[in-house]
Amino acid sequence: MLSVRNLHKSYGDNVILNGIDLDIEAGHITCAIGPSGTGKTTLLRLMCQLEKPNRGEILIDEEKNAAPWPKVTAVFQSLFLWPHLTLRENIMLPARNHNPEAEKDIEGLIKLFEMEAFINNYPNQSSVGQRQRVALARALIINPKYVLLDEITSALDVEQTAKILTKLSHLKERGIGIFLITHHISFAQKAADKVIFLDGGKIVEQGSPDILAAPTSHRLQDFLSLAKFAS
Amino acid sequence: MSVWDILTNYYPAFLTGLSVTLKLCAIIWGSGLILGGALGLAGNKFPRGVGFPSHGVSFFLGGVPLLVFLFWLHYPVQAMFNVVIDPFYTAAFTLAIVNIFAVADIIRGALNDFPQQYLIAAKVTGLTRKQTIFKIQLPLILREVMPPLLLLQVAMLHITLFSSLISVEEIFRVAQRINAQIYRPVEIYTALGVFFLAVCLPINGLALWLKSRFTRNLSEQ
Repeated sequence: MLSVRNLHKSYGDNVILNGIDLDIEAGHITCAIGPSGTGKTTLLRLMCQLEKPNRGEILIDEEKNAAPWPKVTAVFQSLFLWPHLTLRENIMLPARNHNPEAEKDIEGLIKLFEMEAFINNYPNQSSVGQRQRVALARALIINPKYVLLDEITSALDVEQTAKILTKLSHLKERGIGIFLITHHISFAQKAADKVIFLDGGKIVEQGSPDILAAPTSHRLQDFLSLAKFAS
Repeated sequence: MSVWDILTNYYPAFLTGLSVTLKLCAIIWGSGLILGGALGLAGNKFPRGVGFPSHGVSFFLGGVPLLVFLFWLHYPVQAMFNVVIDPFYTAAFTLAIVNIFAVADIIRGALNDFPQQYLIAAKVTGLTRKQTIFKIQLPLILREVMPPLLLLQVAMLHITLFSSLISVEEIFRVAQRINAQIYRPVEIYTALGVFFLAVCLPINGLALWLKSRFTRNLSEQ
């Protein structure tokens, strides 16, 4: 389990996270929703230890201060594929350190994400959807136990989002714990085992995806009605 | 007397001038790339202690015509300290200083502008520090700096001609001397032009090739 306990983070006087407690279970999808600027991405960056919290701790399988990689990895909204390497090389470079069967596994990932037609292209020769799948494959080839995804469907159309949803279900079945930040409420409803609603640096409401149909807090009710209006 | 005749008759003098020019270049290029590279790296690592002062010197040097700087180091400075330094070393020092700070500026700029997201991606996918440097940072930075560095070195080769003005016996001064003897300016300076073309064009070509080969548009659609 990837756990955060009493996590606090501020930049100067600006409090971003104010006492977050959260468990990401292996084989489960946890979706984080909430207004922009409410600390979702900061929470993700803290969980993969790209930043340090002011207070609180992060436990990876009960271990404090454990090196996060390759057990925990992340895919960001902007993907960050290395532009001078082909998509295949983007996936293979990290694989060499952490996966002795990388050569075999990459073929499986190419099939899983249907990347046969473009795997030897460079990132700038590929569409957003293709790059999205490569970024996911690059994260998965190192055999992580937890994958943190920051709005990876934000630039995708409905069809590609549905494909990603299917892929995430496959990963869940493989026992990978997924933390997913999304603005798509319907995507969270379909994908998640657990939903957390963040606002003002705190988890205001959490539970099964049912909370999106019957929210108890006024703040989540307001957010969902605005989200419904916007969509 | 044709260009060929001049080259065959005066080749010992041309070879002497050429060797002085090449020695100058070796010092300027070597010190510029090694010391300038190191200064650029240090400037990126210690922006306040090294980066800003180095950029300040580079900015100052950019504002002073090279010829003035060269003459200033050759006459007033040596007179002030009551020393006499071989003009070759004065020229080598002056041009090396210019090259070192120019190279440092290119390297520091490329390092400062390096997109941090590629390093974040390297971190979260578990790349080692060595892999991050050699497989991600270095290839991307080299692509960025190689063409301007090569073009700068070609410009430095051209600038060595100025050293003839403080009596360095480099190839241009040799050409002037021969011209003073036989007065064949068209042939002599054509021969000199051919020499510079022969040396500079391949370097320029290499810079262009590197630019087209490696600095293709990497931006995502």
